[in-house]
Amino acid sequence: MNPVPGSAIAHLRRALRVVSVSAFISCLALSSYAADSVVQVQLDTKNATPRAVESLTERGILRDYRFAWTSIAQAVELNTADPLEGPFAGEAKRLLRETVVSQQRSGLSRQYVNQSHRLEAVFYAPEGDVIELHDTAEYEIRISDGGKIIHDEHVVMHFVVLMTPGADRWVIRQLQAVPKS
Amino acid sequence: MRRPLLICAVLCLAACSIAGVAQDLRVPASVTAGEEATIPTTGSGKATFYLVGPGVSRKNDVSLGEEIHLQGQDLRNAGDYLALVCSDTCHTGTFYVIAAKPSSLTFLVHPSRVPVGQGDAISGVAFPFDQFKNLVLAPATVTFQLAVGDKPLFSRPVRAQNGVAWFRTASGKSAGLVQVIASLDDVTAKRAVQQVASEPCNLRITGQRIPIGVLVQTEPVHDCAGNVVPDGTIVTFSATEANGKSTVDAPIKQGIARAQMEASGTTVVSAASGVVMGNELRIGGKP
Repeated sequence: MNPVPGSAIAHLRRALRVVSVSAFISCLALSSYAADSVVQVQLDTKNATPRAVESLTERGILRDYRFAWTSIAQAVELNTADPLEGPFAGEAKRLLRETVVSQQRSGLSRQYVNQSHRLEAVFYAPEGDVIELHDTAEYEIRISDGGKIIHDEHVVMHFVVLMTPGADRWVIRQLQAVPKS
Repeated sequence: MRRPLLICAVLCLAACSIAGVAQDLRVPASVTAGEEATIPTTGSGKATFYLVGPGVSRKNDVSLGEEIHLQGQDLRNAGDYLALVCSDTCHTGTFYVIAAKPSSLTFLVHPSRVPVGQGDAISGVAFPFDQFKNLVLAPATVTFQLAVGDKPLFSRPVRAQNGVAWFRTASGKSAGLVQVIASLDDVTAKRAVQQVASEPCNLRITGQRIPIGVLVQTEPVHDCAGNVVPDGTIVTFSATEANGKSTVDAPIKQGIARAQMEASGTTVVSAASGVVMGNELRIGGKP
């Protein structure tokens, strides 16, 4: 059996130190993302017409809308389109993918922090195949260029949202920011 | 007295440069999707311009004192946009791009097949979109029409609210293809609904003895409005004789349901389809 040279052991130790420090930093980053990515959503369906929203449907929309915004936050912060698979379809998906691709090209990223959404259902189709929601969203938006924050602002935004039921979830088909009317 | 003010001013400047939030940039109040826009700048020297919006994340160098030109390509998507010009400090401005005029209608119609004479059986929902697929929220009137060939059956103008217009109506009296049309200015969307006969009405049967039993059949089966009931609708024949009862289901083919049943003695045959009962038929036993 060949003896292990002392320099090799020192190398190994250094490598292990680097790996453990990286793992620690990754854990910190993930936990800080988890803390930031808590998305508060409230849904009011009492004004939905012409069809009333069943409580089970309401719960599904609430769950899937929250998940959709968590996915948006992940996608535009980490500049990856993967989180957009599932919660989005059609135009909304195309637009968000374009956003990610455009950010990858320019080296920018966005962070949506401390999100809070007040959703109101304003239209629920007679056959239940589409619902229109109005979202008053509050969050802090941070724009970074190559990791350096160039803009940080607390905003109140208004969105018009179209959601349709998929096989096992509600998906966002249109997500359009509008001026406050 | 002046020192605290000076300290405040220095702190404010420092805070602004760290956070990147600074004075307003003069941006357009709102822009129509796909149109060009300009942002004037003041000062001199080089700066970095950022445009952050839906589907857009642009960064390029600009010369201060010159206008920044935003191309229609960058402003196709309705939503909020943030413009930033950064040199020593950043100047920001936000504006909205609003949808252009409608160029298509997303039109959902239900159901694709409906029995005649049903109340509130057909419904349609229309969403107007511009050429860039932005939802058009500006007030507009969508006209819904139902027609058979060139003959209009129904027409109703509906004011779109929040970018959606909808209608609901009863199905017509006659079976056949109905065109459902939504139109907004020169934009039209067409869908088709197949109206089919409703439940059978006045079921009548005839029959005769044959060597192996009895052969029974319906007269052409119609609904109460006179439409021929579609093929495949099930008619149940029941034959009762002294030693028992037998039942057979037969689908309607070309308007008529037909069945052969084993029976040797005097037999009473009846028929039913859905909730409708037919006449009873007595057929004598084998001679």
